[in-house]
Amino acid sequence: MERLTKFRFTNLDKILYPKLNVKKLNVIEYYIKIAPKILSFLAKRIVVLNRFPDGVEEKGFYEKDSPGGTPPWVETFARFSETSGREINYIICNDLNTLLWLANLAALEMHIVLSQIESYEKPDQLLFDLDPEPPAGFNEAVEVAFTLKENLDSLGFKSYIKTSGKKGLHVLLPLVGDYNFSQTREFVHQFGKYLARDSDLVVSELSQSQDPGKVYVDYLQNSVGRTMICPYSLRATPQATVSTPIEWDELKGLNPEELNVFTVKERKKNPWAGFWENRQRLEVG
Amino acid sequence: MVRLTESLKAKPPSRAIWSGRISIGLVNVPVKMYTMIRDESFQFRFVRKNDACPLKYERVCTLDGEMVEWADVGRGYEVRKGEFVVFTKEELDALRPSTDQRIRIDKFVPFKSVDGIYLDKSYILAPDKSGDAYSLLRAVLRDMGMAGVGRFTLRTKEYPILIHEYRGSLLLTTLRYAYEVVDPNDVEALQGLEEPDIEEFDLATKIIENLSGDFDIMEYQDTFRERVEKLMDKKMKGETIVVEPSKQEEVKELMAALQETLQKLQGT
Repeated sequence: MERLTKFRFTNLDKILYPKLNVKKLNVIEYYIKIAPKILSFLAKRIVVLNRFPDGVEEKGFYEKDSPGGTPPWVETFARFSETSGREINYIICNDLNTLLWLANLAALEMHIVLSQIESYEKPDQLLFDLDPEPPAGFNEAVEVAFTLKENLDSLGFKSYIKTSGKKGLHVLLPLVGDYNFSQTREFVHQFGKYLARDSDLVVSELSQSQDPGKVYVDYLQNSVGRTMICPYSLRATPQATVSTPIEWDELKGLNPEELNVFTVKERKKNPWAGFWENRQRLEVG
Repeated sequence: MVRLTESLKAKPPSRAIWSGRISIGLVNVPVKMYTMIRDESFQFRFVRKNDACPLKYERVCTLDGEMVEWADVGRGYEVRKGEFVVFTKEELDALRPSTDQRIRIDKFVPFKSVDGIYLDKSYILAPDKSGDAYSLLRAVLRDMGMAGVGRFTLRTKEYPILIHEYRGSLLLTTLRYAYEVVDPNDVEALQGLEEPDIEEFDLATKIIENLSGDFDIMEYQDTFRERVEKLMDKKMKGETIVVEPSKQEEVKELMAALQETLQKLQGT
């Protein structure tokens, strides 16, 4: 058989999601089929892996540093990490080979920073992370997301939404590249405060993020080096869910658990197709 | 009707492992004995992985970790946990049956009357020097369908044995002692089983009739052995060993998906 990749797939029969009997083969197939959609969101930025070599029912581990045995064709980016106290060789995933190599490492979850390496301190997107605290759940997050969209629309912003793959929702604005993280953080924080004033459901402060039945608008992710689950990344949930970009009009009545390793790769829709062509300014005209 | 195996495959032994005589009363039949059953499983030695240096075992005391000389090694039998009765090699040797180059036949029985469960390991007997007595015994046993039953000491163990004719040869088969065989009636899980109803019984009979055929051992191959042999050949030729990915249908599908994605990515 002709070699299509620069490495060999290994342990394809390993079961990674025992509840659904999803093998590594299925995970790799997912990333093969989703590659045309996911690569533009991974490219040129640090990716932090959450690896589950023994499947999602066993403990996984975060990996920032390129692991031993990283092939020479994988691009890395050396940078001193404050939290680790040493220089880290971060993995940069620009191409199909790297993506599938990561999938073969059982890096089910791929988390991205909100800026590219060449302008590390300048975010190219801004994130509203809507995080419901039980008993609030997905439906409450949907309600807050619609209110958020209305407000963003009225100010002339074009916003993009994806499921987190768990209970939450992520609303993003692609940005032109001359803001810094303190500005994007402040923008999201102010927006959260504004929504919280008009709604009993919304809280905007970290200290309230655990308040039962509330939806927290997390603004702190908009910081240097912080990560977000990449659009189209799998999640390490028992249902093998995907953090899935969706159309706003799909949101009502959506069951996020149905967006999984089997269904998302078959979706014809490409709701975020225009994401990078719609970079926006934050100043309101 | 027992169907003979078309081809037995094991390599014939080059040397006899024992020679002596079959004693039937005052009649002696000189014979040589050859191995018939070969354990063809691979024998691997423990070696150091990176330089194949063979490892040796050492006798080490489990309490103080000291090496123990062969002269100081005894045979302990654990009668209760941690409590041993110790024998010396000399004591045990004195108890062993003496080997006297004889296969003693006590009586003859119809071969088919012997319960197969007692049959253990078979050896080929061939004539030693003169073949006359051997041929006679072979012809008579074959013609009458009888087998001689007796005793035989091989190395240090005495066995009950059976001698019968098989494919033109006399075979010696060691037998198991009665105390070595479990009676299924003594297995608790088999007690109090009910007889099936007649309908179920008829149905099961039909299923078995549909799956009936002739017994043929050649239908069963040792696939593990074949794979080890293949890998061994490659290693001996100095080829790099890559663990072969399974060539299942689903892997082909994976490659097809990859092909498609590559085309899509090139198109953009």
